[in-house]
Amino acid sequence: MLCDICHKREAKIYYTEIVNGEKKEQHLCEECAAEHTSFQMKMPVKGEFTLGNLLSSILQGYYNSEEKKQEESANPVCEHCGMSYEEFLKTGLLGCADCYQSFGSAILESLKNIQGSELHTGKRPKGYVKVKEVSKPVAELSEIDKLTIRLQQAIEREEFEEAARLRDEIRAKKAKEEEGVKKEGAPNA
Amino acid sequence: MRKWYEETAENGDVVISSRVRLARNLRSYRFGSRLSDEDAVRLVKEVQDAAPLVKEKDGKRYFLCNVNHLSEVNRQAMVERYVVSPTLAGKKQETGLILSEDESVSIMINEEDHIRIQSVTAGMDLEKVFAEANFIDDILSEQLSFSFDDRFGYLTACPTNVGTGLRASYMLFLPALTMTGRVEKLSEEMGKYGVTIRGLYGEGTKSQGCLYQVSNQKTLGRTEKEIIANLDCIVDQVIKQERRRREYMLQAGYDEIEDKIFRSYGILKYARQIGVEDAMTLLAQLKFGADAGVVKLKEDVNLHILMMNIQPAGLQKLLGKNVGSSVRDRARAEYIRNKLPDIERGQNS
Repeated sequence: MLCDICHKREAKIYYTEIVNGEKKEQHLCEECAAEHTSFQMKMPVKGEFTLGNLLSSILQGYYNSEEKKQEESANPVCEHCGMSYEEFLKTGLLGCADCYQSFGSAILESLKNIQGSELHTGKRPKGYVKVKEVSKPVAELSEIDKLTIRLQQAIEREEFEEAARLRDEIRAKKAKEEEGVKKEGAPNA
Repeated sequence: MRKWYEETAENGDVVISSRVRLARNLRSYRFGSRLSDEDAVRLVKEVQDAAPLVKEKDGKRYFLCNVNHLSEVNRQAMVERYVVSPTLAGKKQETGLILSEDESVSIMINEEDHIRIQSVTAGMDLEKVFAEANFIDDILSEQLSFSFDDRFGYLTACPTNVGTGLRASYMLFLPALTMTGRVEKLSEEMGKYGVTIRGLYGEGTKSQGCLYQVSNQKTLGRTEKEIIANLDCIVDQVIKQERRRREYMLQAGYDEIEDKIFRSYGILKYARQIGVEDAMTLLAQLKFGADAGVVKLKEDVNLHILMMNIQPAGLQKLLGKNVGSSVRDRARAEYIRNKLPDIERGQNS
């Protein structure tokens, strides 16, 4: 099959793009794919296809589209280990635990993309409370975050009345927040 | 002592094994990509120093070793037995292992994360293996201080593991879905529920012998219990689909299938040289035939173990020396000939 764009070279890449819920499918050659899409040439065509590669392409896609202007001037570097955000994007691996803090909002956004969540609700190490006093959390927990954690714990303990109460409280708080946003009249970009 | 994979278990016709892996990192070291060689040595020692505590509390016998000091063949054989990951086996830096005698628990040190706790069992029982890994995690955390954040949970080198650090997986045997070309479609459907399906030895490897690994994609925002419940729910569906396909295949073309299985057996029994891919495919057909009652093995032989033992490095270990691939193909054929039991037509005929 020939490439849908140049109609000359053999199509090697089957490219699907979903924009605003609309699906667009194209058969492209490597050259046209590199030129016309956000497809990362080096990734699945040659070389190994690994989760790390995939991840960094997701992150880069995000980085290129939304954050480009803001981040271009500042490529944050982790003070503790010296890793830069760009380096992280290449490998998908962070340099140290402090990187989570150093890359702050960028990490938060990419976690939403990769994990669909930004809040841990699972196991906590024994004796964690003590550690908490000395270490600074990466980002302050909101009231709703704290309630969500308590809700999970209540469900695990099978205290369903308490869980229902917490669920209602979270709903009420979320509704209130949304109202607040509407009143300000400007949607949060 | 019997290894975990020598046990037989529930749902064994589809679910070969259950495994969980917990990723943990120590506060006082940088992650793998930024870890100096000296720190790697210190890290391995510090974690292995916790081994006596693990032995004492868990009651099992444990062995220690430094994986990077082992020979290439030994390392590869450990990968084939799922004792260590390909990442750990391939590292030049100091890497360590704490391994239980039955090989069901392995604690990998200086993998992508500082510590990877793995627990595995035959058949379908994620709850049991999670309980085991969780217990080991508790023991280790008494002596070691893990990187943990209030919001993000357990901090890991790759953000795809952050939060619970839990990767739960089932190894599935899907001959009917493979033969009818359904696995790709299935993979798409599972993706929607945050579940991935891939080849035998994890990331980037392809499927052999109709064996697949199915695991959770996301590690953050769900509790460990929820992750496992979600995976169980999906895998239950896959088991049903696989069984339905098997039944359908047997109903629709019993004679063809019976013929195919006996032909596969014929090749396995009489071939003088055989490559690993061929052997895996043929053994998969034989296993399918035995599970479905199309053929009856006259001796009780675990075909999955046979599949593990004919992998290149495992075979070299059995031979006790390094050999080229043509010698290996002859040795593989001979090994299979010797191990293969006689068969007869099954009760379904």
